[in-house]
This record gives sequence, structure tokens and C-alpha cells, in this order.
Amino acid sequence: MSDYTHPEVLVSTDWVRDHVGKPGIKLVEVDVDTKAYEAGHIPGAVGFNWQTQLQDQVNRDIVGKEAFESLLGSGGIANGDTVVLYGDNNNWFAAYAFWLFKIYGHKEVRLMNGGRVKWLNESDKTLTVDLPKITATRYTASQPDLKLRARVQDVIKAVEARSHNLVDVRSPDEFTGKVIAPPGMTETAQRGGHIPGARSVPWATAVNPDGTFKAADDLKEIYLKKAEVDPRRDTIAYCRIGERSSHTWFVLTYLLGLPNVRNYDGSWTEYGSMVGLPIER
Amino acid sequence: MDRSLEVYDDILDLLPDVDHPTPLVRINRLNPSPSFTLYAKLEWLNPFGSVKDRAAAYLVRDLERRGQLSATRGVVEPTSGNTGLSLAGMCAARGYRVRAVVPNKVPLEKKVLLRIAGADLDVVNDELCPSPGMGEGSINFAKSRAKAQGDVYALPNQYENEENARAHYETTAPEIWRQTEGRITHLFVSLGTCGTVTGCARFLRERNPRLKVIAVQPTEGHDVPGLRNVAQLDVSKLFDPSLIDEILEIDFELAYTRALDLARREGLMAGPSSGLIYEGARRIVERDREGVGVMVFADNVFKYVTNMVKHVPELAEGTSA
Repeated sequence: MSDYTHPEVLVSTDWVRDHVGKPGIKLVEVDVDTKAYEAGHIPGAVGFNWQTQLQDQVNRDIVGKEAFESLLGSGGIANGDTVVLYGDNNNWFAAYAFWLFKIYGHKEVRLMNGGRVKWLNESDKTLTVDLPKITATRYTASQPDLKLRARVQDVIKAVEARSHNLVDVRSPDEFTGKVIAPPGMTETAQRGGHIPGARSVPWATAVNPDGTFKAADDLKEIYLKKAEVDPRRDTIAYCRIGERSSHTWFVLTYLLGLPNVRNYDGSWTEYGSMVGLPIER
Repeated sequence: MDRSLEVYDDILDLLPDVDHPTPLVRINRLNPSPSFTLYAKLEWLNPFGSVKDRAAAYLVRDLERRGQLSATRGVVEPTSGNTGLSLAGMCAARGYRVRAVVPNKVPLEKKVLLRIAGADLDVVNDELCPSPGMGEGSINFAKSRAKAQGDVYALPNQYENEENARAHYETTAPEIWRQTEGRITHLFVSLGTCGTVTGCARFLRERNPRLKVIAVQPTEGHDVPGLRNVAQLDVSKLFDPSLIDEILEIDFELAYTRALDLARREGLMAGPSSGLIYEGARRIVERDREGVGVMVFADNVFKYVTNMVKHVPELAEGTSA
């Protein structure tokens, strides 16, 4: 049985229980449901709101460098800290935050394997509604590493040249265009369907029922064999707004060690609204 | 207390039992076989308006017996609305607080009713893009509240609590057995937490092992509040397939059209989940031709007006000047 290419990026719930509160370890919760942190979080964790804190509030874009520095500084995170991210929906937005931390050059970032649901269902783990005591820091981010990010121009070129693996991680109904977004979601697009040439591998294919990632051999079977993702090619992962695809970006980059995987955060809400772009159903 | 006078000391005294059952009403114009007697059990005549009063009463009494509730410690519960409403009503009478965690798609009527009954509300999005084992947003959210604030909330959790099935084993099923004088051959139920089917089937099968238990479920991707498709049943720990003879999967839109039929041709103001059960029963009656069937109608239509209009848009025609 093979191991993940970068097993060091994952920590277990037991590891978090044993290390929470230790110097240099910072815990950050990022949820799809922004009310979840308030309902109960791991003691000592700060909560980041993906809607208001991880995105630019005027332009449709990731949070800017200064705002990111200010967010981490006010969260008490120093450049040398090891940041452990976790969240609901098996780490959708925790993976998105992981991607942002990497874009801004934070060195030591981990994902808590299994996310919030695994912690919740373990009897030796506690939750609290108490907010952590934070000592603010001065955080300095690197210039953004845009090699991790695909823009719509990159996607258009990749479609024309048929040069990339395109991995669509949305639900089958979104892939086929039966629905444009999951029920109840406000971010949507003008058209349903998928990017020509994309392979459908719903994000959840990568996780076990307890929320942890599947073993390396299973992931290889799913992505490299069944979905025929060619590890010699560059890869672009996308979903609807780039959160579920961050999860797959994480799997392909760190667990399977594929080179040059980019997350297309514009995703279907951008591509599916552009005039004149080809769509497959 | 003299129940014959219908004078009560406490709203909870209205809860049904084998001596004071909810009514069985025979289906007449919509029954396809004269030799099959088909009854609807009108569970909306429970004091807080649905079959969920039975489970909620058992859940609350169990917590009380175990000293889990107090003036400062109430309940938090994941609910599609009716259990929350039953809990809110009972807890209002008892002086406990209630927090209901409901999926976003629950009809507005139910959300507002929960607030009218004094419940605090958490509304969560349950159907984003689920994965097996992840559980549902509302159940996980309620578990989070209970885990983070154990001093404020107890979590009855109707999806996993045997008291839910016990309520039906001790009340609903004995009522049906006596009301049909032991002649029942077919039980028709829907699936949600599975408390009704599991509790009733256990009791009735002990009396009549040949009883047919037929569960109806809406097609996948359905919009019938309170019900679960089999693909959604992994959260219902009370689901015991060995107690069910047949599971009928029925196009969920029929829940709405059959609810209309029941109102317009039988005078039964039944909700969409009852519409779905009726459609399942109708098919079995056409097939089996003979028997005595009981359909457990969980709720009436009043809380589902928004949903009815959504699925039968012509209902809204001619409603404004």
C-alpha cells in the first residue's frame, strides 16, 4: 500500500486534541455554514468567514494581500506558526482556506483529516462556544503565488489546446446541466453543463464515510485510472465557486503529488455565464 | 379528570392513547375495491397538530425522568418542523426552552409556527452536495449545539432515540389494533425518522405475523417535507428493513395531486405526505383487492400551503382581485 505523497499536510483529530493550545499551533475553522462556528467550535480555534473574510468585498476575487495579512494578524497567527484548518462539509472551505494560505506563502499549513464532522462524532472531543483569547500579531504575506490559481483565460486556452486534465468536482446533476447549482445556493450561472473535455469526479468520491480522505491507492484508482487524469499533464480543477475544487486540488496536489494542479476559483459561476464559450452537456 | 367531558387540566392530557385514540376515517369515494376497507388515521388531531406529538411526548418524558431538563436546560432538536413544533408546545407548557434546527427547505409556515410556539430557530442548508456518512446539516448542527452547550441543551435526537419507536409501539399501534378489532391486514406508512413504522410494525406483527407493512417513499430529489427517500435513510437509526414487507417508491409530485384528491373527494384535508401514502395504498388495494388497511396520515395540509402552490400552481389562480 502506498502512502500519500505529502502525508505531513494532514493531522488527525487526535493530534489536534493533543496539540491544541501549544505554542506555535493555531487552529482555524472555516465553514460553508457560517453559523456553525458560533454553534460550537474546537476550544482555541478562531473562525474565519469565507464570505466576508476570504474574499474581496468589492471585486469578485480572492482576499487581497493586505486584507489577508490583517485577517491573520487579528487572528493571532504569526508567520512561523503551524496553522491547522478544519471545517464542515468535510473541509470544503477549510481546503479553500488552505489554498489561500499557500497562495500567500504560509509555510506550515495542515488540514485536520475528517474535518468538523469527525471531531463532532468522537466522544473524547469537546466543543465550546467560548471565543479564544487572541494576541494580535503583525503578519506579513508573500506576493500571491498565482501558479496555484487558474483564471478563465487559462481555462479557455486549455480547452482549445486540449492540453490539460480538467476535473469537474460538482455533483452529477450539475455536471450534466440538470441543475445549475445545488438546491438553496444563491451563486449560480446563466447556463448549465460543463467545460468541454472535463471529467466528472464529484469531490466526495475522495472521502470515507467518517470524513477522512481515502487511502492513496483508492485515490489513484479513482483519479488516475477511472477518470484518466494524466499525471504528465497539468490539471485544472473546478466546481461552482471554487470551494469544492479546492478540496480536489488538495487531494491531487498533496495526496497524489500531481505537478501543476490549479484551482479555477471562477469555476462554473464564471465559465457558465461567459458569452460565446463552448459548453458540453 | 373526566375525558368524556373533554375538560383537561393540561394540554398534554390531550395526547392520545389506546382508550382515547386519534380517529380512523374510512376512505369511500377514493377506494378502488369495495371488498377492501381502507382507513386513514388522522394524526393531525393530536394536540399540537401532527403524529410527531407522540414521539415528542415520549422524548420529553424520558428526559424528565432522567433529570435532564430544567428551567435552564431545554432541548435542541433537528427537525423538519413537526417534531420541533410538538416539542415547542410541550416545552412551553412545561417551562423548558426549545431550539429547533431545521433544513432551509422546510415550508415557511412551519418556520413561523415554530417561532410562534416560542422555539429559537437555526436554519441550515442540508442538501448542498452531500457525501455518504457526512450526515445532514441539521443533525450535525444540533449535535454541535448540544456538545458545545451541554448545560443549556439536551439533544433528544428523534433519528436515533428508541423512545420515538416506543411511542408508536405503546400508543399508535395498540390504538389501531383495537380500532380495527384486530382485523388489520395492511399498514401503510411513510418513512422519515422511521419511528412510526418501526414501533407500529413491531407491535402489530406480534399480534398478526402475516400483517403486511407497506412503506411509501418519494422519488429521489423529492420535495415532500418530513419524508425520506431510502437514499436519505442512513441517518434514521430506527429504520429496520426487516419490519417492512414492501417499499413503494412513488413520484413525489403525486404527493401533491393526491392530497388534493383527498381534500376534494373525501373531505380529508390531508397534507402531501398523506397524499403519497394514499397513492401507495391505492396501488396495493387495486392489487390485493381484499383486506383492512390503515394509512397513518401524519399531518393535515394547512402547514403546506406554500408547497401546494409551488407544485400545483393553478391553486394560486384567482386568489387576488
